Amino acid sequence: MIDGLFTWFDNRLAISRSGRHLLNKIFPDHWSFMIGEIALYSFIVLLATGVFLTLYFVPSGQDVIYHGVYKPLEGQVVSAAFKSTVDLSFAVRGGLLMRQMHHWSANIFIGSIVVHMLRVFFTGAFRRPRELNWLIGTTLMILGIVNGFLGYSIPDDLVSGTGIRIAYSILESIPFVGSYLATLLFGGVFPGDGSIIPRFFILHVLVVPLIILGLLGAHLGMLMKHKHSQFPGNGAREENVVGAPLWPNFFLKTQGFLFLTVAVTTLLGAFVQINPIWLYGPYVPFHVSYAVQPDWYMGWLDGALRVMPSWELHLPGHMIPNVFFPAVLMPGITFNVMMAWPWIEAKFSGDTAEHHLLDRPSHRPVRTAVGAAVLSFYFVLFGASATDVLANYLSISLNTVLLMFRVLCVVVPLIVYPITYFICKEMSQAKGGGRRKSFNVVIRSAEGGYSTVPTEAYAGYARETLEPVSVEEVDLSSILNGAEPTTPAGVYQIPRD
Amino acid sequence: MRGVILKKLSLFIASLLAGTFGIAAFAGASTTTHHAVAAHVTKHSSTLSPQLQLGQTLFDENCSSCHGIDAQGSMLAPKLQGRGAATIDLWVSSGWMPLAVPTDQPRRGVDKFTRVQTTAIADYVASIKAGGFAIPSGSIAGANVSQGQELFSENCAGCHTITGAGDALSGDLNAPSLHGLTTTQITEAIETAPGNMPHFYPGALTATQVKDVVAYVANDIAHPNNSGGIGLGGNGPVAEGFVGLFLGVGACLLFALWVGDRSEDDEEHETEAVKEAHV
Repeated sequence: MIDGLFTWFDNRLAISRSGRHLLNKIFPDHWSFMIGEIALYSFIVLLATGVFLTLYFVPSGQDVIYHGVYKPLEGQVVSAAFKSTVDLSFAVRGGLLMRQMHHWSANIFIGSIVVHMLRVFFTGAFRRPRELNWLIGTTLMILGIVNGFLGYSIPDDLVSGTGIRIAYSILESIPFVGSYLATLLFGGVFPGDGSIIPRFFILHVLVVPLIILGLLGAHLGMLMKHKHSQFPGNGAREENVVGAPLWPNFFLKTQGFLFLTVAVTTLLGAFVQINPIWLYGPYVPFHVSYAVQPDWYMGWLDGALRVMPSWELHLPGHMIPNVFFPAVLMPGITFNVMMAWPWIEAKFSGDTAEHHLLDRPSHRPVRTAVGAAVLSFYFVLFGASATDVLANYLSISLNTVLLMFRVLCVVVPLIVYPITYFICKEMSQAKGGGRRKSFNVVIRSAEGGYSTVPTEAYAGYARETLEPVSVEEVDLSSILNGAEPTTPAGVYQIPRD
Repeated sequence: MRGVILKKLSLFIASLLAGTFGIAAFAGASTTTHHAVAAHVTKHSSTLSPQLQLGQTLFDENCSSCHGIDAQGSMLAPKLQGRGAATIDLWVSSGWMPLAVPTDQPRRGVDKFTRVQTTAIADYVASIKAGGFAIPSGSIAGANVSQGQELFSENCAGCHTITGAGDALSGDLNAPSLHGLTTTQITEAIETAPGNMPHFYPGALTATQVKDVVAYVANDIAHPNNSGGIGLGGNGPVAEGFVGLFLGVGACLLFALWVGDRSEDDEEHETEAVKEAHV
């Protein structure tokens, strides 16, 4: 029956021919190649939980009177968006779990994108021919941050409302066009005519996710086209791909990893509270809570705003406000340099050849040191977004903490660069670095002398020598007919195009 | 008479020494006043009720060395006359007072006295000179918590944060956490505005509004509705970010390390890389 159905479809769609090619794809196996998958699976969780949330969320800035489960807000005038989010948390079965999973998942999504980018950067996976994919990846990260901010803003609670207020000022600070842009986006002077909630909503649930989805397709498509990069060793060379075939090895492994990622998100959503908006209350433009920070992925921007000294640029007839420099100029430079990095590096190293074998970070001291220094700079800015929290917990003056961060964001990168550089130099010259340690037994002789004898790790241990074999043609229809996979576990290779 | 002269003399010495040698003078001043305390107590105690007598004894033993025998203040500490029982009760019951060292920053702690003793001290100080607020009952019967939430958001969250976790303000100042306070203490704080806290009552808030805020702080700030799991101390996105990155992404990375393989250089490539690194 299934056999007949398959043949019917196969005769019309020719799945087995193109499918065979896909199933034969080889994926190099390394734990760091799975970081991007965390982002991919978090995105799936985001879509699934997000759809659930849209069923109950009311994207409207309209004033309504809150009547509901949470008594401390009973009878207050709140926006429909806020009311529906509180109702979603208390009155919808499983609603709070979905909200929390959605939010934790967003944190994991952007977090894993950042870690994935670090992996790509430090191993040099962005080099030719993958520069375009690096561009797409960077764009995906920016879109992730933007969408995180939009989603965080739409419940219209006191804390996120303060964030929107800051975003309004940042937009306003752009020279010449800022005030027009801000008025256009908010439908008037802040807080506008209430249309910011539906506008952010449609950007959050439709426009940005659609672009992300499209770019994600291109990202993975290019990955297929280029075939995955790989670390040297086990017969991996520039002209081949060594690893496990998509079916069944890689597919089952990544499927398990999907479940693990979802499990982590679900556990966090079930047991750790995130963004308890009912405790924050509705956003009222003339109310403000102290100790308000954005989500961590915007933290470096908030930190930059705090650390920036109160300088303004007075041009004839126009003043460029203070906010412009840390909140518009700095991220602008950051993202542009990030995107241009493959070309910047090629320019300096003069290396324009294709690379499919990855670098060990220690073998590229300059790149690694630059990356570490820049990363430390943003890490300090991230820390600076919590100046008040640190001052409170450490009982230090807030002014001292702020001054300390002003110094640190200059000093730390300057220290991190040489330290990283010299550690890399040392590591890259160490013999046996990057190779598994061999097992030795130290024997003391009767005379008191010591000698080292290589040994096996355990009885019957044999050092695995992996010689990649070429993949045989897999016949999809035979697998579907119940035949055993023709590719037993092991290491395989296919040539690159 | 001798007591008064001694007291004046001791204060004079204390001020002189404090002015000249700063804190070092404090030890000297306190030993001098010690004799004055004994004389003072024997003179007036017969005219006071037992409650005030207890208060006076405790005040003389614990407070007078800095605030003065009749709470008239000194170089070291402010005048307490006319401050009212509510102020004294708040500062003592919150553990701010008495200070071990007069130059220390007052820190929240446990009340060093029993409730009866604290009230006695407060009543004694209030009996020296009228003024200020009496110790409030702290009753929140019939309070409107929702109204309280709104007023809290408008008037208190700006320093104490919306979750009442407290935070550092500019300079060395800080807005303390609002957790673990009694309704009496919260009412006293709003009424008497301790330290740098702005005055809200009477004026900005009515008595009913104070009660609403107190009810919200005592119920919903002290015992927040932590639906959805561990509350992370009301510290918002900073704490959430750490959990998201270290627990969330961290756990996924550990799983990746578990599921995925590790790389291994071969001899040939390694030597090549080492050669490159030497260049």
